[in-house]
Amino acid sequence: MRWNSWLNRRRWERQMDAEFQFHLESQINDYVEQGLSREDAESRARREFGGLDLAKEECREQRPFEWLDHLLRDFRYASRSLRKSPGFTAAAILTLALAIGANTAIFSALEGVVLKPLPYRDPDRLVLVALYNRALKYPTSLSYPDFLDWQRSSRSFEQIAAFREQGFDLTSPGAPERVDGKEISSNFFRTFGVDLALGRELSLEEDRIAGPPAVVISNRLWRDRFAGSPTALGKTITLNGAGYTIVGVLRSGFHFNQQQADVYTALGRGNPLFLTDRAVHDTLCVARLHTEVSIDQARAEMNTVQEHVAQLNPDTARGQEAYIVPLKQFVVGDVGRTLLLLLGAVALLLLIACANFANLLLARCAVRKREFAVRLALGASHAQIVRHMVTESVLLSLTGGVLGLGLAKWGLSAALAAIPGSVPRIENIGMNPWVLLFAFGVSTVVGIMFGLLPALKSSKTDPQSGLKDGGRGSAAGHQRMQRVLVLVQIALTLVLLTGASLLFRTIHNLWAVNPGFDARHVITFQVGLSSSVTNTAPKERVAYEQLVERIRHTPRVEAVDITANVLFSGHRNEGAFWLSSQQPASLAEIPRAIYYPVGPDHVNTMKIPLLRGRFFTTADKVDSEKVVVIDSLLARSYFPDGDAVGQTITFPRWGAARNVAFRIVGVVGHVEHYELDGSSGQKPEIYYSFYQLPDEVLQAFSRQVTLAVRTPLDAAAMMPAIRKAVSEAGADQPVYNIQTMQELVSRSMGQRFPTFLLTAFAVLALVLASVGTYGVISYSTSQRTHEIGIRVALGASRRDVLQMIIGEGVRLGLIGVAIGASAALIFARALPGFSHLLYGIGASDPLTLVGTSFVLMGTAILACYIPARRAARLDPMIALRSE
Amino acid sequence: MLILKVAALGPIHGYAIVQRIQQISRDLLQIRQGSLYPALYRLQNRGWLKSEWNLTEGGREAKFYSLTKTGRQQLKAETAEWKLLCEAISLVLETAE
Repeated sequence: MRWNSWLNRRRWERQMDAEFQFHLESQINDYVEQGLSREDAESRARREFGGLDLAKEECREQRPFEWLDHLLRDFRYASRSLRKSPGFTAAAILTLALAIGANTAIFSALEGVVLKPLPYRDPDRLVLVALYNRALKYPTSLSYPDFLDWQRSSRSFEQIAAFREQGFDLTSPGAPERVDGKEISSNFFRTFGVDLALGRELSLEEDRIAGPPAVVISNRLWRDRFAGSPTALGKTITLNGAGYTIVGVLRSGFHFNQQQADVYTALGRGNPLFLTDRAVHDTLCVARLHTEVSIDQARAEMNTVQEHVAQLNPDTARGQEAYIVPLKQFVVGDVGRTLLLLLGAVALLLLIACANFANLLLARCAVRKREFAVRLALGASHAQIVRHMVTESVLLSLTGGVLGLGLAKWGLSAALAAIPGSVPRIENIGMNPWVLLFAFGVSTVVGIMFGLLPALKSSKTDPQSGLKDGGRGSAAGHQRMQRVLVLVQIALTLVLLTGASLLFRTIHNLWAVNPGFDARHVITFQVGLSSSVTNTAPKERVAYEQLVERIRHTPRVEAVDITANVLFSGHRNEGAFWLSSQQPASLAEIPRAIYYPVGPDHVNTMKIPLLRGRFFTTADKVDSEKVVVIDSLLARSYFPDGDAVGQTITFPRWGAARNVAFRIVGVVGHVEHYELDGSSGQKPEIYYSFYQLPDEVLQAFSRQVTLAVRTPLDAAAMMPAIRKAVSEAGADQPVYNIQTMQELVSRSMGQRFPTFLLTAFAVLALVLASVGTYGVISYSTSQRTHEIGIRVALGASRRDVLQMIIGEGVRLGLIGVAIGASAALIFARALPGFSHLLYGIGASDPLTLVGTSFVLMGTAILACYIPARRAARLDPMIALRSE
Repeated sequence: MLILKVAALGPIHGYAIVQRIQQISRDLLQIRQGSLYPALYRLQNRGWLKSEWNLTEGGREAKFYSLTKTGRQQLKAETAEWKLLCEAISLVLETAE
């Protein structure tokens, strides 16, 4: 009913007319009856009724939803007046679209990665469970026996589940394929609160040594290999040459950690050697807290449990405590901090854009002064004029926002494609209601705030002076405000520029770091050797030797060999060692080295310098003397004044054997393993020959084996020949995981993904700020045409005029840069999230600051030059007559 | 309040309301006829009055206003308030004498 009157306004008007008509006619009739003439009666009735149109207008004001009408009318009016100045409109919309687009993009990344809860049941109660090594000061995973103890004794958790990432060669049914997977404990899916689409979880029976082989497969695999048929349950798939019975199928969309796992087998069926050893810390654990139990309480309880474990197993478990963090923190990591930083950067960009926007509006107000004066004189109220101006600016900002959304969508997919693997939960990033709401909110607030500012300023003029001087009256007030806005722009731009340059120099510094090997011209890839040649350890050793030999004879291959621990792959294979013959008290408390199980030609392939002694040869066999090669760091710190070659080093584990002594036969240069910036600390490195690994663990290591090939060709040109060589040895051997060493190294800089974005933002800011400076200077110059004309007429040279105007720009620039530099220095101190991204450079590096200041000043002067030259060329006669 | 009071007596059209108020108040209260309608529309908007088109005694179509339930409550409340105010004022006036 209420809506009716708004929707059907013509009918509403007709009814109102009829009602008024009836009133008048009744009155006239009464007067006629009282004896008046018809004409007298009519005029008297009208007089007593008062202004008919005024009454109608007042009635209309009472109509429901009348405000909606006003709003629509304002918008129509605004869009009409904006269409009349397309240049201004385009500039304003584009400025805002860029800034709102950037903000929306970063917000959607933050929302998807950090704010959105994990997609599991009650995700807040999920935690990562691990150990913290007090002596080495970093967290490590639990060992499998630790996991069993914790699972048995904890009261804080509903469930503790364990898992380990594992790749599999899937050979039937269908074409051979390398799939990612996980080895899991039987309660894994229950812990996450995830229901299966079909079948059941792994059972306790299956999750033990020599249990029946069973597998839960992903929805994708189920659809690809079994056409989504329910009869898949009970069928067998072949993984790594062994048959597994399918007992369950996941729902689509289950996802944990970066990689998409397709098969889930039982962790408890693994190699008994590792499952019973408390020194093997390779079991990741996720637990679900009981309601009412806090993380601190759980940590306290597990510390007690761990103390008990340590008492029973002092030689392996002492010196470790419980390490429990929310699962989300583990998944998201440091990226949240970096995204917040970026959000701050785009907020600055938005401010800069808003300053431009406000400047444009101010200039427009100045031009329209006469229009406002006329409207005020014709009876418009100040409030109405302010409302019109704000409507205009909101219309602009909303249009900018819509355009910005498009830009954000397009820019996000481009940016995300450029930084693979460096942001977790990337699949969550996208447009959703929250992001839309954010863009809408930002646009509206910007439109209202920055529209109101100039509107209030302009509407104060009284119509008289506005009409009289035709737009010169309060120009001074406008100019002051414009100048302040430009100062803000310059200062903020300097902050962004400085941040971007610091990150840029960081990347430059990182590439200048010598990683200890030559990362250029090396391609790495893995080969799924056919299970027929790897079913016994001796056959497997031969198979790898032959594979390497075959590839070595491919044309353009300079060197090739295998490694089971690829540099910069992020793979962690560390182990304890000691030098003297005396065994230390607890394995957990002695130093770790990075272990490299490699082939004899590894150092030649990687071009790692051999400093002393020799590297491995084909003569180092499984039954010959056990030898290792150490890096220069280990040699320097453990043999400071003697020759390391010929000394012995002891490994606590060597397959089933304990405390095995190795002779050091050589020393090679230290290489960077995890990151170029050394943020994970310098660790000693120990190489041993893959071919000396004992039979019982060879299989476990062979899953990691990667071939590295040194060749002047790029991967696309080299790989076909290598694939051919591999398939000649066996057609069912997939080649996968092809990466160049340089790709691996640059991925280790992944956390510096803001560099590219921040640079883009800084350049954008620079453009906006120079446009702002240009606008203000050229506006003030045009206001001073008269004055300049007088100066020139009185004898000022062109040079003087040029100097005067550029001087004005330089003054603005200098003040802005001074403010910006102080702001940048304050930010550098206040933002630890930023300085941890830097390498080889301080956050308040003076050289960078001076450099960016010069760039900014140069741009400001350039922006002034055009209006200055225009002013200098003024013909004084024309200038004086211009008004 | 006066409009509500008049409308409380039964459905009545705009012209009659003016007449009635002038008649009852013995022409003491002269309301500007034109401003009656915005007031009527406002009261209707607040849900105190409802309206419908009907035939007058003279056989013409006119819009008749009548009180709604909430309008009746409002009238009661306002009347009470007004009486209270009047009493207070007269009390002050009398005591001050």
